[in-house]
Amino acid sequence: MSIDSNTLFQNYFSDFRNYDEVLKSDMSINPNWERLLTNLSQVGPNNLNAKQDEVNWLMEENGVTYNVYNDPNGMHRSWGLNIVPFLIHQTEWENTIERGLQQRAELLNLILKDIYGERALIKHGIIPQEVIFAHRGFLRQCDQIQYPASKNLLIYSADLARGPDGRMWVVSDRTQAPSGMGYALENRYALNRVMPNIFQNIHLKQPSQFFHEFNQMLIDAAPQNKSNPNIVILTPGPHNETYFEHAYLASFLGYPLVMGNDLIVRNGKLWMKTLKQLKQVDVVLRRVDDVFMDPLELREDSYLGVAGLMEVVREQQVSIVNPIGSGIIENSGLIPFMNAICKYFFNEDLILPQIASWWCGQQKERDYVLNHLKDLVVKRIDRSNRENIFFCEFLDETALNKLRQEIEQTPYQFVAQEKISFSTAPNFTNGILEPRKVMCRTFAIAKQGGYSIMPGGLVRVASERENLFVSNQRGGISKDFWVVSDSPQNYIQNYSWDNASNQTISDINDLPSHTAENLYWSGRYLGRALVTARYLRMVLNRMTQEQYNNRKSESESLELLYKSITHITSTFPGFVGKGSEKRLNNPLEEIVSLMLDEKRYGSFAQTLSSFNNSYYSLRSLWSKDMWRVFDGINKQWRKFKDAENYSVIELSKVLDRIITRLIAFMGLIEESILVNQGLLLYFIGLQTEQAMMNVAKCRSLLVSNYNEQLQYEILESLLTSHESLNIYRYSYRSYLSLENVIKLILLDKDYAKSLTYQINRIKKDIDRLPYSEGSNQVSICQQKIDEAHRKMQSLNIENLLLLSSDGSIRPNLDDLLAELSDLLHNTSMAISDTYFNHSYQQTQLANQNFPIT
Amino acid sequence: MLYRLSHTTSYKYENGVTFCHNIATLKPKDMLGQKVVNYALEIHPKPTDFSEKTDFFGNTITRFSIQDYHKTLKVIAVSTIEKDHTLMPDIHQSVSGKSITLSEGLQHLKHQDPGLWDVKQFILESVLIANISPEIRAYAEVSFQPNRSIFEAAYELMQRIYTEFEFNPNVTNVATPIHDVILQKKGVCQDFAQIAIACVRSVGLPARYVSGYIETLPPPGKEKLVGADASHAWFSVYIPTFGWVDFDPTNNQIPQNQHIITAYGRDYYDVPPLKGVIYSSGDNKMKVAVDIRPAV
Repeated sequence: MSIDSNTLFQNYFSDFRNYDEVLKSDMSINPNWERLLTNLSQVGPNNLNAKQDEVNWLMEENGVTYNVYNDPNGMHRSWGLNIVPFLIHQTEWENTIERGLQQRAELLNLILKDIYGERALIKHGIIPQEVIFAHRGFLRQCDQIQYPASKNLLIYSADLARGPDGRMWVVSDRTQAPSGMGYALENRYALNRVMPNIFQNIHLKQPSQFFHEFNQMLIDAAPQNKSNPNIVILTPGPHNETYFEHAYLASFLGYPLVMGNDLIVRNGKLWMKTLKQLKQVDVVLRRVDDVFMDPLELREDSYLGVAGLMEVVREQQVSIVNPIGSGIIENSGLIPFMNAICKYFFNEDLILPQIASWWCGQQKERDYVLNHLKDLVVKRIDRSNRENIFFCEFLDETALNKLRQEIEQTPYQFVAQEKISFSTAPNFTNGILEPRKVMCRTFAIAKQGGYSIMPGGLVRVASERENLFVSNQRGGISKDFWVVSDSPQNYIQNYSWDNASNQTISDINDLPSHTAENLYWSGRYLGRALVTARYLRMVLNRMTQEQYNNRKSESESLELLYKSITHITSTFPGFVGKGSEKRLNNPLEEIVSLMLDEKRYGSFAQTLSSFNNSYYSLRSLWSKDMWRVFDGINKQWRKFKDAENYSVIELSKVLDRIITRLIAFMGLIEESILVNQGLLLYFIGLQTEQAMMNVAKCRSLLVSNYNEQLQYEILESLLTSHESLNIYRYSYRSYLSLENVIKLILLDKDYAKSLTYQINRIKKDIDRLPYSEGSNQVSICQQKIDEAHRKMQSLNIENLLLLSSDGSIRPNLDDLLAELSDLLHNTSMAISDTYFNHSYQQTQLANQNFPIT
Repeated sequence: MLYRLSHTTSYKYENGVTFCHNIATLKPKDMLGQKVVNYALEIHPKPTDFSEKTDFFGNTITRFSIQDYHKTLKVIAVSTIEKDHTLMPDIHQSVSGKSITLSEGLQHLKHQDPGLWDVKQFILESVLIANISPEIRAYAEVSFQPNRSIFEAAYELMQRIYTEFEFNPNVTNVATPIHDVILQKKGVCQDFAQIAIACVRSVGLPARYVSGYIETLPPPGKEKLVGADASHAWFSVYIPTFGWVDFDPTNNQIPQNQHIITAYGRDYYDVPPLKGVIYSSGDNKMKVAVDIRPAV
């Protein structure tokens, strides 16, 4: 193929300064890339732009996110996938990379075993003791632990890049809880969907078999060879940068996603708190770092792990993947000794080259480093994140001297590496291809007799053209990683293994209590958001009407409605307490605050944001449609928040749009999640909230006695906010009367928005919740809701309508609503106490507050 | 010398505890010059899980958990210990041990003698003794000089801490950083031990933390009060060609028969007598009573 004729390669040459994956030094094209480039050319630059947009859109639509810490816009940042993949030919892959990774995984596994076992490597002087003992990742608590699995290192990940000699080099090892597999898989699916054409005539190795083996590895890791082990995925939570992936793998593999407080150690075993009881856990696939795993023996301030877990591991009652303590081999201090270790164990050389490294704990090496500091890259042996790497060529004299001092003070903590210029690969940017540095994350999984390597992996691209460093911490771009073969390959399968041996069909009893809690609160917040939005919209619409007809009763009723807002949303003092007169004179300001002030408890914004939080925690249950609508709500809301002036009409319009989406979303929840998956809890939360709001509305609007005109306006407002005006007209075909309104809103047995119906529904759902066997007694939540239910059964409309002696209020109605409000509140508290395990509040026996870094 | 030792720790929880996991490092070491004749650990309420294991440093670690709701926790370690320090190597009998200088000692340690690996780890930083400050370094260098005997220097360091630091149980707690202690020169045995360890490590020698007990004698003519003793801590220096030598800077002496050793570690963090995670929402109150008396 001629490069000149290819517009995609315009100006690519001008950037050609070092080794490129596609362009050889004689300016010819690497033949492995030809088919891909042909396919890309056939799509054409204009279409490629469109395709890139489509990929971006798809990633956003599917909610593929990556959170960036300490960045206000960093939460739920969309994952970037470039449409031009990275590729490697099967021959190179199998002959060197795969073999090299297998060798390195086996080697690191033996090192890990040795370090926490015999320590022969230290005793025989193969590695200096400081490389291990001065590394923060060496956890003495893990010393001499025996594991049921045949290998200690079960998952291994290496970052590779192509060096100036044309070979792939190992840049770093990841052994605690490597991330990226889920993103790699999602990249492949996305590219397959958006750009099927670029796969034309190219035979790709697919990762299906690898994920099958991954699942098998988890099953095999279980102690006592259980055939049907209980496996969970432990996440630090929705704020973690790769939370998307935790949830993604949980739903892909079909295992529950749990957080530290879902688990507990009792009777020497690890248990998951579920709605019904404790359920024993056999295998934990963790995405929590080593030191956070057990606040009893490791970091005291951790709430991400489980107290007492280390001892359960020692007693071989649970397997952690990877074992706690494996962070010790994320250790750049080992690099200078790796070849000697390889010789020691295997009597062979390393297959994959590493970057030349000098450990400063040795005199000769230290002298070299201090004399050549400016040309080197310096790291601490136990800190491998970008923030802790010193690129000395960019340091000024002061910084260099400071570093020199630090090296001299604790030389054993430092390693210096040669600076290497790694290869570039074409990246599609603004309509053309440009060369960018790339880094390939590869994955290995332990299996019977060896390690299985994922064909391909995750390729990350430097965020700017000139950038030397590749990092996701800043939210970079990624690429699909192809291993291309000369012979036809299987297509990618969605779900690749036979799940027959794996009892993942769960029932409500096994629902992790933390998931249950989030579902319950999702229901409550969603209910609150909807009722609040409808109520505010009704008031806003009344305000608009008032501008046209200036009747006295109208403004009187408006004032009553303003006040009712404060009651219903519990946002005192608002329109009723201190300063209310000022607010009543300028009601719009208060209403805007009720809509927008996220810090104000009871505001619409606060409800929506609480809902977002519970909902993100449920990510593994989401369907793509749900994400789309959810994202739509958030986008709408953000756009609205950024506006400056709000008119009554605009506010009401935005509520219209959000209400529609909330309802669409509620519909999707009901069809996307099974009752046994936890939808039951969502329903209870939703109905409870709606019933509570219903009671609050009736209490603030129906208890006082008004003159006929005012009464009419109030009843109409109530029905409007309840979206029940049409149903009222259909049912009663009459002028609005208080009696009929109460019959419809409170007493109707068949109308889904009536309080009687809602309470019946809650009662039915609560009866379906699991309760401890043996205790025949009725649970407290059942007692409370039964009482509410009985009250509703025995109501007498005439009695409710009775006026007080001065004719101002209806005391019986008020009493009833007050009692119901309490009962609903107590039901909710009882559900929380019984099912959500708040009694487990973890603290240290002695508050030690050690300065651990 | 035969001792009867009891160490009682009690906790009162304001709101009770639904359950707890604990780790105790309370069992005295069985070693040359110190024999554990008998030992028992009593825990109230009775724990559901209980295990005794040896840790990385060779100490006996007891782990237990209590799964029933309780408002008090009582842990009582009782033992009979036979001490005979004459069985241990005596630095005073070792000419080379007493005379080896700092620069000779460092040279000796420099040899990549893999046999020394478990000693040399005590030169490195540890959780509570890290980023040693210039003040500590300067304090150490008053005593430690290249051509001076390590033993002499360590002995003098102990004496200086004894005379220059004020014993005051009200100014520090387990979390007070050594860098604060060196400035205010006040603290308890654990602070003094850690200051000394930081000093020794700052000149490149191995030093370790020793946790244990000391028998205190009542004032002349008075009866010894039950529970008047406390758990104690001191430091130990590795003197190349000889071995570990203990120094007690709180009492200005080289421990002999009055000191009972429970555990070795890099610092307090490795060997707290009792720690745990409880599930509770309220405050708690702790009481410790230690009693050591000659057993007859």
